[in-house]
Amino acid sequence: MPQIKTQDFFDASALSIKDPELRQALQRVGTGFDNARREAIDEVSAEVWEQWRESARQIKEHTIDHLDYYLELLHDNVTKNGGQVHFARDAEQANAIVANLVKSKGVKIVTKGKSMVSEELSLNPVLEGLGTEVYETDLGEYIIQLANETPSHLVAPALHKTKAQVAQLFSDKLGVPYTDDIEEMARVAREALRGKFLAADMGISGANFLVAETGSLVIITNEGNGRLCTSAPRIHVGITGMEKVIPSLHDLAVFLRLLPRSATGQRLTSYMSMVSGPRRESDEDGPEEFHLVIVDNGRSKMLADPKLRESLYCIRCGACLNICPVYQKVGGHAYGWVYPGPIGAIVTPSLVGLKQAKDLPFASSLCGACREACPVKINIPRMLLHLRQELTESSEPAVNSTPALESILARCYTATMSHPTLLSMGTKLLKLLQIPVARNGRIQKAPFAPLSRWTRSRDLPAVPQRSFREIWRQELSGSNQSHQ
Amino acid sequence: MSSHRSTPKDEFLDSVRNALGRQSGSPPKPPYLHLEETLAQLESQAQELEQRVSDNLDALLSELAETAQLRGWNVCRAANPEAAIGYVESVVTGLKVGQVVRSAQEVFDQVPVERALQNLGISVVAIARDDQHTRDQLRNEIIASGVGITGADYAVSETGSVVVMPRLGLSRLVSLVPPVHIALVRAQDVVENLDDVFLLRRLEYHRNGGDMGSYLNFITGPSRTADIEQTLVVGVHGPKEVHMVLLG
Amino acid sequence: MPSALGPKASLYVTCVIDQLYPEVGVSVVRVLRHLGVTVDFPPDQTCCGQPLFNSGFAAQARQLARRVLLSFKDASYVVVPSGSCAAMMRVFYLDLFDNDPVMRQQANEFSSKVYEFSEFLVKVLNVTSVGAQSAGSATYHPSCHLLRELGVREEPQQLLANVDGLEMVDLPNKESCCGFGGTFSVKYPHISEDMVTDKVNSVLSTGADTLVSCDMSCLMNIGGSLSRQRKPVNVKHLAQMLDREAS
Repeated sequence: MPQIKTQDFFDASALSIKDPELRQALQRVGTGFDNARREAIDEVSAEVWEQWRESARQIKEHTIDHLDYYLELLHDNVTKNGGQVHFARDAEQANAIVANLVKSKGVKIVTKGKSMVSEELSLNPVLEGLGTEVYETDLGEYIIQLANETPSHLVAPALHKTKAQVAQLFSDKLGVPYTDDIEEMARVAREALRGKFLAADMGISGANFLVAETGSLVIITNEGNGRLCTSAPRIHVGITGMEKVIPSLHDLAVFLRLLPRSATGQRLTSYMSMVSGPRRESDEDGPEEFHLVIVDNGRSKMLADPKLRESLYCIRCGACLNICPVYQKVGGHAYGWVYPGPIGAIVTPSLVGLKQAKDLPFASSLCGACREACPVKINIPRMLLHLRQELTESSEPAVNSTPALESILARCYTATMSHPTLLSMGTKLLKLLQIPVARNGRIQKAPFAPLSRWTRSRDLPAVPQRSFREIWRQELSGSNQSHQ
Repeated sequence: MSSHRSTPKDEFLDSVRNALGRQSGSPPKPPYLHLEETLAQLESQAQELEQRVSDNLDALLSELAETAQLRGWNVCRAANPEAAIGYVESVVTGLKVGQVVRSAQEVFDQVPVERALQNLGISVVAIARDDQHTRDQLRNEIIASGVGITGADYAVSETGSVVVMPRLGLSRLVSLVPPVHIALVRAQDVVENLDDVFLLRRLEYHRNGGDMGSYLNFITGPSRTADIEQTLVVGVHGPKEVHMVLLG
Repeated sequence: MPSALGPKASLYVTCVIDQLYPEVGVSVVRVLRHLGVTVDFPPDQTCCGQPLFNSGFAAQARQLARRVLLSFKDASYVVVPSGSCAAMMRVFYLDLFDNDPVMRQQANEFSSKVYEFSEFLVKVLNVTSVGAQSAGSATYHPSCHLLRELGVREEPQQLLANVDGLEMVDLPNKESCCGFGGTFSVKYPHISEDMVTDKVNSVLSTGADTLVSCDMSCLMNIGGSLSRQRKPVNVKHLAQMLDREAS
């Protein structure tokens, strides 16, 4: 598992929100990705888009509800194609599988396409520990590999980096002359990786979709690195979460319509590659072996909880990140693990432990924009509320994270609101307490937390002389005729 | 009674079944529509598809040309094979490359670019293994080439894509490694949308008792990235320049 | 034409309005009565339970929800001048009572009676103009729960468009959250402040005199920021804009 820093969310977000370069980079996520997504939707019309979403949702719902059947079907058809399927219950098992392949097949050089699951497993250090050279080939991943950082976005891993930072990085690590010309930097990456692609013994890819009907792995990419990783080496290893399967090749179409548009506004990526086993004897080239590593690593826990199950429908498009006001302000690293943003606030606690990531479900105003943006209509706010409930009400000390003060406040609030006499006493008390701080109907400095956190930048209304219920009783309840 | 040693697969699927509250694996009820379609049904759908494409061919060709251009293809509509060859010649000579690789597909019988290019002093290597050419040697030829030329297994109007399925005579790397890719598309390769391609693939898969080849690529424009400051750059690891020659 | 035989509506006034903005409640009653609605106010009502529910205290929220269901058991329509409270009662009460078939049934029945204020006017009373007047200009902020949980998008804008003399200016990025989110505003004040700053800047960019919304919690948040910055923008609930007796 990569280092977990989810417990630092509050502090990390307080820092990142003030980082001007990061804020500038993050602005592009809204004006760039999200705007492009909206344009792409407008182009096909809202009606058509809604039909696609509903269709995709139903496919995912059905598949996940019958995941055992489809995984078995997938396994059988991959095997029939001449591929080998490996099931890994956790990160350790998955890494061991890949490590064994590396060792037993004499693999010296590995080229990797983008795979969030492989980040989850922390696979690279394991392979490097065996003396293997591992090259991330997706440009964003390549950049963060050089920088020894983790991805900060599902689709654009190096989103947080300015071109000047990348230029410096290339200059330091690759020994090339400093240039912040973006085209030139892409050319540098192309040249640096060219030889690796063609010399690699093993290519590792992720999977956007797995088609059970035909035993196929599908990746959608733009750069060409995904194709090179899956075509040039003698061994191709696909690493995937178990939730990526869809029943039929027929179903792939709607997802290809939804995913690129949701991610970056593209109608379709430059490439869609479908791997159905190793090369056939008659093929001119291609890997001799195809291995599919299907990973659980805690997903069966999400599957088992009917309220969390739909988080497995996620197709990792990043649309929820792009529209989330919290993500837009604090960036991906503050979330402290592999999956940031709204979907991350659900997946990360589910995979690393709820108490470990207890801040994440609360770091949301529940505005619901994520749910609107989600191509498979995942009800993220509802799951956030569910996780908040778990954290607050669980009887297991390993999970329960409510500060004692908050529990007391909640009980007092409930008691007050359960007894109108207590409520009016409470109001009278507040009216007394506010005397020193209320001016012209406003309170500018509340004397205690949590209200003081509010008043550091915002005024509070003072409690007025009469509440509505008093006005009603005294003035309004008598007359029920229309006033003209 | 022999003891049942559970494999990682059994363990894995058991834990999935447990999570779903199921005792044993069983297919969904009712069965999933698209997994129940018979060969006859797929054949019939394919016939409808062919009819629809043939009825709308001109419109589809126009849409393909337009969409492909929007996606970054350089599109040439060639009225006949000579025009196509002329276009390929101009692209290749404009790039000043010494060597070109091509797949060994039917379209090259109709559009014999090889001879034309050789007449211009450009070496053309056909990617097909024989006694003289091993896989490795052919791979080196590809690496040494400035342009890769293929046909198209399908050309999709909806998306502006060319679909290429590596197999005998069609290498994975021809349309990927050289910095320029030219795709020769015949009218008969054109289909309307993604659903069409997948129907035809499924038909082939089931016709063959469960095989549709090892690989398939949709190519929709040149290679690109926006990973640095979300600024679009064309031509990263795949071809920087792609040409679609539409015959007819 | 208003009539004494108009529909009966029970007002759920919300604790924010009851305790902090009673004048909004008064405007709501006046507008409804002007439209011929017989308004009653079940006196036992208090909080709908949303702040507790949003913080994960579901058991306590259920306690308050039961109280609401009891207080309003005889209501034909429950009119709620708050998108978030209306969403709580219409949508989230069903989740709250997931495991209790009897209460869930009650919550279901109750749910069909709950209307947010602007929704009630337009969808139930079929009214988009109440004959109100106003000078000056205003801009409208759609609150998140109103927009996304209840799907109420056009109704407030239709009602505002028909206020005679009022110039409506479109709010840039209007669907962005104001940053309140209940306890979110004090649990993550740095993020909440950043969000409300964006919202305030959008409001100021319109040049409008008044910011209108259907949720006093949003207005408390945005208004609190505006007044701290001493910006002369009024904040008003939709009901106040429609109330002919409000100055």
